[in-house]
Amino acid sequence: MNNSNQLAIQTEGLTKHFGVIHALQDVSLQVPEGTIFGFLGPNGAGKSTLIRVLTGLIHASAGHFAILGRRSKHNFQLRQGIGALVDRADFYKQLSGYHNLELLARMSGHNKPSHLNDILHQVGLYNRRHDKVKSYSQGMKQRLGLGQALLGDPKLLILDEPTTGLDPIGMVEIRDFIRKIAEERSATIFLSSHLLHEVEELCTHIGLIFSGDLVAHGSIEDLFQHMGEITLDLEVTPTDVAEKFLNSNDLVQSCQQTATTLRVSILYENVPELLRQLARQEVNIFSASQKNRLEAFFLAQAEGK
Amino acid sequence: MIYLTLIRNELFKIFSYWRTYMSYFFILLLVPLFFWGFSVGGSSIERQLTNAMGDHFLMVGKLVNAFTVAYFVLNFLWIHIPFLIALVGGDVLAGEEAVGTYRVYLTRPVSRWRIFLSKSIATLLYTLSVILFLGIMSIGVGALWMGLGDLVVLQDGILVLPAGTAFVRFALAYGLSFLNMSMVATLAILFSAMVKNAVGPVIGTMAIVIIFFAISSLPLDFFETIRPFFFTTYFDSWTKAFYDPIPWDYLWLSTWTALLHIVLFLGGAFLIFKRKDILS
Repeated sequence: MNNSNQLAIQTEGLTKHFGVIHALQDVSLQVPEGTIFGFLGPNGAGKSTLIRVLTGLIHASAGHFAILGRRSKHNFQLRQGIGALVDRADFYKQLSGYHNLELLARMSGHNKPSHLNDILHQVGLYNRRHDKVKSYSQGMKQRLGLGQALLGDPKLLILDEPTTGLDPIGMVEIRDFIRKIAEERSATIFLSSHLLHEVEELCTHIGLIFSGDLVAHGSIEDLFQHMGEITLDLEVTPTDVAEKFLNSNDLVQSCQQTATTLRVSILYENVPELLRQLARQEVNIFSASQKNRLEAFFLAQAEGK
Repeated sequence: MIYLTLIRNELFKIFSYWRTYMSYFFILLLVPLFFWGFSVGGSSIERQLTNAMGDHFLMVGKLVNAFTVAYFVLNFLWIHIPFLIALVGGDVLAGEEAVGTYRVYLTRPVSRWRIFLSKSIATLLYTLSVILFLGIMSIGVGALWMGLGDLVVLQDGILVLPAGTAFVRFALAYGLSFLNMSMVATLAILFSAMVKNAVGPVIGTMAIVIIFFAISSLPLDFFETIRPFFFTTYFDSWTKAFYDPIPWDYLWLSTWTALLHIVLFLGGAFLIFKRKDILS
């Protein structure tokens, strides 16, 4: 168990009701410092609600939380040292990108022009900084949103579905940018998404929420250890020898041939042993990949729920 | 220091919208139109005033001057200026929620109280600037156009105020007008805290002003009883600045009433704003 001063975010029994709707139910979550934490759940599961509680946009009905080891009854003091992009990035359209950033930077005293220009460079908007935001594409607004989250070099970045509304190129740009921030600034990134491949690509830790309940959280590797049955795609030759062996092997639940691979259902912990046995059959193993690990895990949790 | 920064932010935002300038354009267009109208048709008004005075006075100089026109211009305060003030006050909170900028503005490390206070102060500063602009345009430009002179007021008889006194009376009238318009501005802020679009608060504020005016004017005993509690009852307090003697008791009452309403409207707005969950 992590000590609270090593946790970027710690919630205890966080609950939020909207009338009779339970948006969050007794959520107790720990996000270790220095991780990229993916917060997953279907639409309406409570991801945005939790993020809005953490960023002070919504008041919790019950429970507590600490950010970067700080607790305060004054929510706004917890927002020192964090940057947030909640949902789609919206700005004062009649103002330029630079003025929008300046307006927000003044609130925390980080409004030196050099700092603002540096951020605009980082998010690739420096050349358009004096254009009004109404002339920006959604991708540019999203990048400006990331830029405002970076004001004051925060130790914790909270990003709520940062690739929402972006085309595939924009999504890749934002993901690369998030990865870069994590590497260069060693900041903790708390990222909500319902795009499983996005989280799998970026995150070291995950949390799963369904109907306001946090059903699992921890490092991806730890969680996958307890996954049970998985689907493994094997690229092997000769295929007929491998298929015969796999169909007769007790470790294998089922084996099917696809266009390019043999698809095997097997318990996660039996994978190393199966690969060792297969190698002994004079079969050439070119690759063994677990497709959609996170998807399988997510669906398993959803079924359990 | 943070308050000054936040007020500066809010003023910057208010003055970045073109609708903010509608008040100034309105005054800039209509006040000269009044002066033009009075300079063209002023002689007939002067004749009417002279006839009303009968043979009791000997009038020397121009009866229609900048002060006379400025006095008439102050009647904009009934509906036109309140509407323009509500346009800005109604947008100050709801406008942010409507366009989604709360999500970036309220996630900064600043308390909602500070943000609310800065928004309210910025709105009141805007209100003050509109009243000052009205005064400068009416008396300043009027003095250049028509010159100054004694102010003749027809109110329960005829009152002639010397030019020197008229300045002081106008200063008092504009001060009272600012208080009255601040009530409108803060009422708009209250509505603005309640809803998620900027149109509702403007309509709500003007509806309240018009309904209260209408009820106030009904000659029924019941309304006579409750009329002192309506904030619109004191909208005419600026007219009392031109009475002789000045009814200070009434003016103090109207001032305290205005201040009480301002505090109530802002207090209510803050409670709503503070507890508000931002879901947009």
